[in-house]
Amino acid sequence: MTPTGTVTGAIIGNARSFIWWEWIFRRPGEIWQRTVEHVQMTVVAVGIGLAISTVLSLIAVRYRWTYAPITWIGSLLYTIPSLALFVALIPYTGLGFVTAQIALVSYTILILVRNIVAGIDGVPAAVREAADGMGYTRARRLWSVELPLALPTIVAGVRIASVTVIGLVTITALIGNGGYGTFINDGLNRQFSTPIVLGATLSVALAVLVDAALVLFERWLTPWARRRSTL
Amino acid sequence: MPDRSPDRHAIGLRNVTKTFAGSALPAVGDLTLAVRPGEIVALVGPSGCGKTTTLKMINRLVEPTSGTIEVLGDDQRSMPAHELRRRIGYVIQQIGLFPHRTIRRNMGMVPELLGWDGDRIAARTDELVGLVGLDPDLLDRYPAELSGGQQQRVGVARALAADPPILLMDEPYSAVDPIVRERLQDELLALQAKVHKTIVLVTHDIDEAMRLADRVAILNVGGVLEQYDTPDGLLAAPASPFVASFLGRERGLRRLALRRVADVEVIEGPIVRPSRTVAEALDVADEHGTSWVAVVDERQLGGWIDRAELEALPGSTSVGGLATQRFVATVGATTPLREALDVIVTSRSRMAAVLDGERYLGMVTIDQVAGGLDA
Ligand SMILES: Nc1ncnc2c1ncn2[C@@H]1O[C@H](COP(=O)(O)OP(=O)(O)O)[C@@H](O)[C@H]1O
Ligand SMILES: [Mg+2]
Repeated sequence: MTPTGTVTGAIIGNARSFIWWEWIFRRPGEIWQRTVEHVQMTVVAVGIGLAISTVLSLIAVRYRWTYAPITWIGSLLYTIPSLALFVALIPYTGLGFVTAQIALVSYTILILVRNIVAGIDGVPAAVREAADGMGYTRARRLWSVELPLALPTIVAGVRIASVTVIGLVTITALIGNGGYGTFINDGLNRQFSTPIVLGATLSVALAVLVDAALVLFERWLTPWARRRSTL
Repeated sequence: MPDRSPDRHAIGLRNVTKTFAGSALPAVGDLTLAVRPGEIVALVGPSGCGKTTTLKMINRLVEPTSGTIEVLGDDQRSMPAHELRRRIGYVIQQIGLFPHRTIRRNMGMVPELLGWDGDRIAARTDELVGLVGLDPDLLDRYPAELSGGQQQRVGVARALAADPPILLMDEPYSAVDPIVRERLQDELLALQAKVHKTIVLVTHDIDEAMRLADRVAILNVGGVLEQYDTPDGLLAAPASPFVASFLGRERGLRRLALRRVADVEVIEGPIVRPSRTVAEALDVADEHGTSWVAVVDERQLGGWIDRAELEALPGSTSVGGLATQRFVATVGATTPLREALDVIVTSRSRMAAVLDGERYLGMVTIDQVAGGLDA
């Protein structure tokens, strides 16, 4: 799933001493700081990605012909390797936060647009007709009927996007944006396995945690989907 | 013919045509149709004849290609479509309840759109629950937790929530099983007796149309109006072979099903008072050409005596003291004529006594029942 997996495998293979626990225990402050940085990078990227994707999705739903070009561009952004994108962006946006965010955000667009559009398309035609028949305006129908009903599908997209971004943020550390990737960089530079294992483990743990949190969030947001009887 | 004076129309379609983009033939062709306030009009016809399209043009879910539609005296285009729709209840076959809202919220949707305050919506919801016969315990459930029949009641309640003068229903009962359907149809009639809405009902089921509607519009493919009349008028005089075949067989019997015993003139029947003599009773039987007489005292039906029994007795005997047999061929004033006919043809005497509770009103024979079709 994420490049960290392969890196970890390679390093553990040639590690002499495996994990120096004391080195880890001496750094609660640094671990906390890297966690905050990692979460910040992720939240900002997914947040901006969601905002852009929502706008693009609404355009795609309203003007159907735009869906194909939007997803085509999304796929293109998704396929460009992140390192290549960094290199390409550095002359314009420099080494740092903006470059990293551009790369991260562009990864989320395809996933999020597909899910938002699928979610809205999945609203039963009868529900839409009933809303129109009762006198909903288009905007109100979207806001209070279509988007809420699309939530499970949208949240599913946000989960994939978040997990992907959490993995990618370990790479953006290469261009100096902090996060768990900083541990991995450090370990690679010093041929020292402990920070590498620490960084990799923490980013996997964060991904699992965020995914689980989003599942709970979705259940909280969609009480109607829980109480389905077997009529 | 329908009344064409504008002030008497709740809904008036004038030369309305709808041709969908990309199709050569119109789905609805030059349709003129008026619906009076407080009546139930059914649009019936074969699948694809433009019933749904016609209905959706009334609340502007479909815009007519040409022609005008008046709703409550105004051109429907005189206000924004969403405002028009808030004044017109809309019920569809698939119901379309909002899955993410509780039943209570679903019922309150239009009042919410109209900006009613919470207390008023809550009061109205409680009222609606009673009106459509829904269990109040269901109010806090989600639609997926309800049966099809319950959801359909919620759909009707939702449509009536803001008390719109007009209700449009598109095959509202097609998706529920026949037993539930019949109950919901009865409920609609009972409801209509209380709320007096102008209802346009689309159905492909001619029996449903005849049962529920005051007037029925029969449409042919292309949205061509074949005939627009009361159920009785249609059965009495189908305007075309299409209408006749659409109505089906046994039109006479089905007309009888639409009328009641109270609609026909009853005859006095071969009855005698208990104070009469056997000789007088035999005269009554002769006069009516029956082999029996019924004993009626103060409009109470006592029973009947066979002519052969009377002939065996002295002519001066009083009828009052004689044993009688219970009169089983009886009908009520509200019995449909078709049912009365069944009672008559299965009775030995070819006559049924009409009773209003205990009170004897007279007798009906096949002649009276058949006469009911002339009225
Ligand atoms: N949105 C639409 N676009 C194109 N054709 C349509 C549309 N809606 C209905 N039609 C066509 O118009 C005709 C009448 O349809 P409809 O009013 O739904 O019939 P009914 O309700 O009587 O079965 C049909 O031939 C149908 O295919
Ligand atoms: Mg239809």
